Amino acid sequence: MRLLHLYYDIMNLYGEYANISAMERILTQSCTEFQTDRLSIGDNAELSEYDFVYIGSGTEKNQKVVLDDFGKYKTALKSYVDRGGVILMTGNSFEILGNKITDANGKEFSGTGFADFTVKEQNKTRLTSDAIFKADFSDKELVGFVNKCSEIYGISTPLFDVLMGIGNNNDEKKEGIRVNNLFGTHLTGPILIKNPYFLEYIAKLVVGGKTEINTKYLGFEKSGYEVTLNELNKRKASS
Amino acid sequence: MKLFLTILICRLLHFIGKMIGKGSSLPGKIALRLCPDILDRVKLPEYIIAVTGSNGKTSTVEMIAHILTENGKSIAWNKEGSNQIEGVTTLVLANSTLTGKVKCDILLIESDERFARYTFKHITPTHYVITNLYRDQLTRNGHPEWVADAIKESIKDNTELILNADDPLVSLFGEGKNKVIWFGADELDTDTTECTGKYDDGAYCPKCKKFMRYSSRHYADIGHFKCTTCGYERHNTDYTVNSVDLENGTAVINGKYNISLALKSLYNIYNILAAFTVASVVGIDEEKIAENLSDYVMKNGRVVNFTIGNRKGTLLTSKHENSISYDQSVRLAVSDKGGCDVVFIVDAVSRKYFTSDVSWLWDINFDMLKCENVHNIILSGKYCNDLAVRFSYTDIPESRIKIYEDVKKAYDFLNCDRKEHIYVITCFSDKNKFLNLL
Repeated sequence: MRLLHLYYDIMNLYGEYANISAMERILTQSCTEFQTDRLSIGDNAELSEYDFVYIGSGTEKNQKVVLDDFGKYKTALKSYVDRGGVILMTGNSFEILGNKITDANGKEFSGTGFADFTVKEQNKTRLTSDAIFKADFSDKELVGFVNKCSEIYGISTPLFDVLMGIGNNNDEKKEGIRVNNLFGTHLTGPILIKNPYFLEYIAKLVVGGKTEINTKYLGFEKSGYEVTLNELNKRKASS
Repeated sequence: MKLFLTILICRLLHFIGKMIGKGSSLPGKIALRLCPDILDRVKLPEYIIAVTGSNGKTSTVEMIAHILTENGKSIAWNKEGSNQIEGVTTLVLANSTLTGKVKCDILLIESDERFARYTFKHITPTHYVITNLYRDQLTRNGHPEWVADAIKESIKDNTELILNADDPLVSLFGEGKNKVIWFGADELDTDTTECTGKYDDGAYCPKCKKFMRYSSRHYADIGHFKCTTCGYERHNTDYTVNSVDLENGTAVINGKYNISLALKSLYNIYNILAAFTVASVVGIDEEKIAENLSDYVMKNGRVVNFTIGNRKGTLLTSKHENSISYDQSVRLAVSDKGGCDVVFIVDAVSRKYFTSDVSWLWDINFDMLKCENVHNIILSGKYCNDLAVRFSYTDIPESRIKIYEDVKKAYDFLNCDRKEHIYVITCFSDKNKFLNLL
């Protein structure tokens, strides 16, 4: 297996490096050998050689630097996703997949054009919230935190239903994007640590049914997940 | 008349609030409702010193207040820590005559970094200290660049900035300004060339976003930086820490002043240096300043010594959601060569705001605890599972880690005849859950 942590040093705002650590550990626990590459601005990754690609969240400025660099992967990304390659993009990183990002000053940045959506940023209010999201592929909701200043319009294949928290924009109760095995969500931080069932689901996609995924070691992860889900549900019920 | 009445009401409310031990922002809040431009109407003193930044505001302000008071200056400052516009309004009106003249030589304001732009719309500081910008309470603050943009809006042209030259994001406020006073540290014995933390916010130049290099790092992204593309680099300093000896607890400022450190922490040296700078700028004799700062023990209750049976311990109040604050506390515990047990309590993530987000745990450099003198590590509170997972990603042997969700059980474990010093590292929101057991 080959794992790629892309833009590891510039899109790592909320402890996101741990998503790669979580994938490494579940592969180790499942007796699967792997190699991890950490690449960033100016590097040239051969996406076709990887089994899992991860990009985390960054500041609005850093995201624009990445947007500029990421253009070179447009064709390779399409082939990667078409063949079922697994890619997880968290926080504002998946915004680079759209047609356009308009920043708080009204400046427009062309997106990768991989998907048909637009992003609008503002600099007045930080849109933050604890979150409970539901995916159609699992009966275990995801928990986490959204921390952004943008709204996204036009995503036709969202990833989650919003049970608590903020959707792609303030009027939508749908969140993120899914195209084949590309997963984009505005949940920030180590979501694969915080959501052991989601980790299991992603890991199964990565190994592609060749290997049994071991989840027995995830005791504290599962307890931590239950505590948070319980706390958030209490909060939701009281609001 | 409106001015008179507003001040009268504010002072009365403040007086009553003090009697019943209530917060200090309500009187100001009401005053602002009665007279929204009240802060424009009062007559302010010659010196207005503001302090903002992610960490060290309260400590810096307390030390400045200490030095100025010791040297006969009359000051008004927000001791109670209410640092948004309402709290500052209370501070100003509580210290003014009924005709609106603030009765002190120096008005000293600790200001919340995101809300400074509202406060300083009405009050123009003569001097404005910006200590640092770290990842701090990101569930509210977004990220350091977001906060920097907010602070930028609070800076007025005729204010003299006092900036941490070693912080690349803070230094950016000095770009294009003529009058800036810079403070920082020379290359220190404990410096590294590479980043030693779990993340590097100094990897890219905050100005042009190309790669940045450090000839020397004090900690995190604080150090001697230079962008090889646009040339943005650390500014020479007017006030300087020349050397630090943490083991013996001494630091040298401006080549000749020896300061004896009550808190042997590199992070706190910046607070000391910032206080030294401000006091010198307002004309206090530097010999005196050094004397006042030497062995000064902070009164803000962030370090609490306690005993459990025959065991001695120290509670280091740290900020949840702030990895630098935790790193600082961890470093202090690790430097105790006599051997220690270290307790972490995460029970409520935020004091004021509900959140279950524990992403910040991954930014803390817990790996430092893998050393001979740290014996037991106790993880406690509602989020002990998340702490346990985080520690499972360090190289610290599992046998050293004890997990007790119930803080009382953690206390019971500590209450034994072991000899090691106990360090409890936790937040304002959680510290009394431990201290109340004593």
